[in-house]
Amino acid sequence: MLRKTKSYSIWEQIKDNLFIIGITIPSFLYLFAFLVIVLFYLFKFSLGEGLPILSVFAEIEFREALWRTFWFMLVGTPLQLVVGIILALLVYESFKGVGLIRSLFLVPIAIPALVTAVIINLLFSYPFGHINDLLLGKYVFFPKILSFPLNFSGSEFFSIGLAMLGKVWRDMPIAMLIILAGLQTIDREAYEASEIMGASFWQRFKYITLPLLTPAISTVLILRSIENWKEFIFPFIIAPAYPLLGVLIERLYHVEQNPQLACACALWLVIFIGTTTFLFTFLTKTVRSQLIKV
Amino acid sequence: MGNLLKIILIAITIFFIIFPIFILFKYSVSDRDSVVTGGRYPEPFWPFEPNFKMFESLSVRNDFLQSGIVSLEVGFLTVAFCLFLGVPSAFALARFKIPGLAILLFFLLSVRLFPDISAVIPVAEQFFKKPLSLLPPVISVALAHTLLSLPYTIYIAKGVFESIPRDLEEQSQVLGASRAYSFLRILVPLALPGLGAAAIYTFLLSWNEFVFAYFLMFQGTESTLPVYLLRILTWSPQKNFIAAISLFICIPVIIFTFAVQRYMRTGLTAGAVK
Repeated sequence: MLRKTKSYSIWEQIKDNLFIIGITIPSFLYLFAFLVIVLFYLFKFSLGEGLPILSVFAEIEFREALWRTFWFMLVGTPLQLVVGIILALLVYESFKGVGLIRSLFLVPIAIPALVTAVIINLLFSYPFGHINDLLLGKYVFFPKILSFPLNFSGSEFFSIGLAMLGKVWRDMPIAMLIILAGLQTIDREAYEASEIMGASFWQRFKYITLPLLTPAISTVLILRSIENWKEFIFPFIIAPAYPLLGVLIERLYHVEQNPQLACACALWLVIFIGTTTFLFTFLTKTVRSQLIKV
Repeated sequence: MGNLLKIILIAITIFFIIFPIFILFKYSVSDRDSVVTGGRYPEPFWPFEPNFKMFESLSVRNDFLQSGIVSLEVGFLTVAFCLFLGVPSAFALARFKIPGLAILLFFLLSVRLFPDISAVIPVAEQFFKKPLSLLPPVISVALAHTLLSLPYTIYIAKGVFESIPRDLEEQSQVLGASRAYSFLRILVPLALPGLGAAAIYTFLLSWNEFVFAYFLMFQGTESTLPVYLLRILTWSPQKNFIAAISLFICIPVIIFTFAVQRYMRTGLTAGAVK
């Protein structure tokens, strides 16, 4: 639609395409304005008096939260990837009823994260809840493992672990769908050829599926690591006593009324996300070039 | 052997997916004795006397109904804002050659990758300042939700317009239709189901959204349903009460998520032009 003639000046071009510009600009302007506002406040607060962006490291709470979030990301991301790959392999080949099972596998995405966190809190409640009753051997079908109820929310290991469980449960369809899309691009003839040559299941997975799946895997790793860094709802509901970075930001802002430090945390979060994304991109590229030998 | 393993794995997965939802449903229809056990007996997997009393008591709770109305208002406003801003842009992105299209699309995606929890304080600060602080909370939350869902709306709507062959419009014009007529009679009806899906998606995003609503409504008395659920949690009420509210929040999401998927799959115009 944009006409290109040499005699056209920029103004005439704009005038000619006023309609297109007029209907495209508002939404982008809205998004862009808020992006500018967000960055402006983040920098203004975190570079303000006392340079909160550096002084935040003096806070033990921040260092602990950073460490926890780092582990949350480092363990949670591969976990989500593995679950995604397993689920995708289960429903990849078509059989009777595969459509129904695929739809069932998508159910968690329809449960709001807040509700998922609440369900986990209900299941693991202390002192009387289903999981505690189960571990105490109160149900006939399960052996007694504990002699006293466990307070899951009072232990750093368990509460962060449960937050991760919630995250994995709720987001597994996303990882599965990306891997499934990756699997569907692999040429079936490669498998047939390898089968004729007598390759085992493991050999097929290692030499065909895995190398050809690396683009999908890298997408999952990058998107999921971003999601794990910025996770807020699950740790906020399940592990409030052991804040991750997101929870710490909320606490600094609402409880300690310190928007400067909160924004410093928020800015560091963005920086960590950027770094991790870069590292994962680099890593998966290297691995891919190692796996694929032409 | 391989098949058996697969069937077992599928069964385990389905169990892990269904079990938490079942537990939520179980708690929401539980009577008092099945929830408050006092440790004398294990919590039953099916209530002793299942009933819908929790939902009945919710239906007459004013604060709950008020939050439900606020949630609906925020949702519909968000849909209105998103469609009003997003659909024309999506139409332009799909139909016209726009210089720097790739950059614009990358920008749309990158906005969504920016962490919510980092963006929420600046956005909240801006909304607490004049002139935006003069807006009622419902509108400011809807504006914040628009910020979150607008990129999705544009993406979905762009896909919808791209799936409608341009030839259809041109052919109708060859047959003598005016531009406006072909727009209204050809493009709009074909795009409507897809745009409906985009609207539902936007509504669900707003209905579920917690972080922005929580920060923007922190001090006020009004709340959306997720924020209401959080406020209720701080009183540590009975499990069946929490479960009933949670289930109420879930139901529209579960229904509509699958409705939207079906709409997305139908190849509306496949084979319209040969």
